[in-house]
Amino acid sequence: MNKFRIVFIGLIGFLLWTAPLEAQSPSLKRVGGKPDLNGIWQVLNTAAWDIQDHSGALGTPPGLGVVEGNEIPYQPWAVAKKAQNFANRATADPTEHNCFLPGVPRATYMPFPFKITQTPKDVAISYEFTHTLRPIVMDGSPHPETPEENWMGISRGRWEGDTLVVDVRNFNDQTWFDHAGNFHSEKLHVIERYTMTDPDHIRYEATIEDPKVFTRPWKISMPLYRVADKNARLLEYECVFYLQEERYKNAPFHE
Amino acid sequence: MRLFTNSTSFIAALWLVAIAPAHAQTPRPAAKAFTPAKLADGQPEIPNGIWNRRGVGGLDNGALEAQDHRPPNPLDPTPANPLSVSSRDDGLNNVDRGFVDQFSEKLGKTPQEGQRGQNRERRQMGIAEPGRILPWKAEADAARRAFLLKTNPAQGLKYVEMDARCAMPGLFFGNGPFQFLQTDKQITILSEYQHFTRTINLDGRTHLSKNIKLFLGDSVGHWEGNTLVVDTTNFNGVTAYSREIAYLTDALHTVERFTLVNADTIDYEVTIDDPNQFTRPWKVTGQYNRADDLPELLEYACAEGTQTLRNIFGDPPSK
Repeated sequence: MNKFRIVFIGLIGFLLWTAPLEAQSPSLKRVGGKPDLNGIWQVLNTAAWDIQDHSGALGTPPGLGVVEGNEIPYQPWAVAKKAQNFANRATADPTEHNCFLPGVPRATYMPFPFKITQTPKDVAISYEFTHTLRPIVMDGSPHPETPEENWMGISRGRWEGDTLVVDVRNFNDQTWFDHAGNFHSEKLHVIERYTMTDPDHIRYEATIEDPKVFTRPWKISMPLYRVADKNARLLEYECVFYLQEERYKNAPFHE
Repeated sequence: MRLFTNSTSFIAALWLVAIAPAHAQTPRPAAKAFTPAKLADGQPEIPNGIWNRRGVGGLDNGALEAQDHRPPNPLDPTPANPLSVSSRDDGLNNVDRGFVDQFSEKLGKTPQEGQRGQNRERRQMGIAEPGRILPWKAEADAARRAFLLKTNPAQGLKYVEMDARCAMPGLFFGNGPFQFLQTDKQITILSEYQHFTRTINLDGRTHLSKNIKLFLGDSVGHWEGNTLVVDTTNFNGVTAYSREIAYLTDALHTVERFTLVNADTIDYEVTIDDPNQFTRPWKVTGQYNRADDLPELLEYACAEGTQTLRNIFGDPPSK
């Protein structure tokens, strides 16, 4: 009788012990108890050209938007600014035209792979496009109190269950969300959520707020796909170098 | 955004020389063997933190141009300047970082850093060749000297170094800060300078095909005890070692050795093999030191603000 009870209690204990793990997707490989996001990832969408629904055009692949509800809640003045950006995009897009750092979240959906490096203590994201780097500080420290503005913002990460949540602030007002001229100010605040749904997919969401440009926060979401090719690794897309080679190939310039 | 300028490091170097007392090196007792923790995949654990590097490459001492190659420059070393390297006929300026650092260790620092300094092994930094003279092939040395004469002022885009162009400088520029991240069968090195990432695969894979050429090359590695050995090929032929060695060719092959010495020190050695330019491989020794005063890597935006090429060449003609 006593033996039975011990076995029974043991069984209940085992079930209680495993239950939380069941809730945490047991199929996922883990690092320090969290889903292992290590690897090379890329989107399969056209958000880099336009984050909203758009038809095809010369040099622009058609695509379904990634904005929830497809509407971006611009303040009235900003609607005109966005239209102006769109009209001038061939030379005004800082990323496409000048190879400047693409900002967040645009770095995620550039048509290039990126690498997530995750240890039990640290996370970093390295992008193939113009070798952009984002160290994500995970130690619970607040964003630095600095007036300095950053192209890629400053990232502070934390885990909410199995979701990596990255809070990005300290931006400048120089980057665009896409080649269609969607823009923001230096008050941009992005909260990204990376949730692994199976070993080869991450659900990516970014909540975007900017009280100078939008009337309310809005959200984009998309899947990230693991680059599963054998031997996959991040290579180099040295945009700045290529651009200089093109622009200055005949320098010094003569009449 | 953290900015580094050559002029500030040069002024710092002058200042150090001005106030540093002459000193003789005293041998230190050998440090006891360091036993790093082991990670799940068997790798020795590189102590967590931010690291600076010294002894390697050409960024720091760029102000110390060798006079025999270039027109006079107010920043050039002179015989009266103890940092002068111009009297040597190797034409290299990248060897004195260790010299400066040795002085800097003597200077006022926080007690904690002083203690850390005591743990440092004295190490000869820079090019580890007799007389610091590189084994140039005669024709490659002549081509290099002819090249350098066209760099100031630059007579075309290729005479402007990658660092000044805000383009990827390769493995040998930048003294940090760096961060090492270790994951399963892989080491990732993050560099604040030029925001680049190096990936060193430890899973036994082979190098990429010759058709893929990279500024940072393709790196595979393995551990030999406490030493990480990294073999890198697939360079693109526009990697500089320093301002004086402006281009290594795409035949470049490097073998780096990162040895964990203690919780704050990684000894570094790189063997540089470029058979197109040198009669044999040559070595450089350096060191990574943990930098506790730097809490995190910041953004290094360079191409976004640079006017360098416009200042040299003017605006490109509009199409």
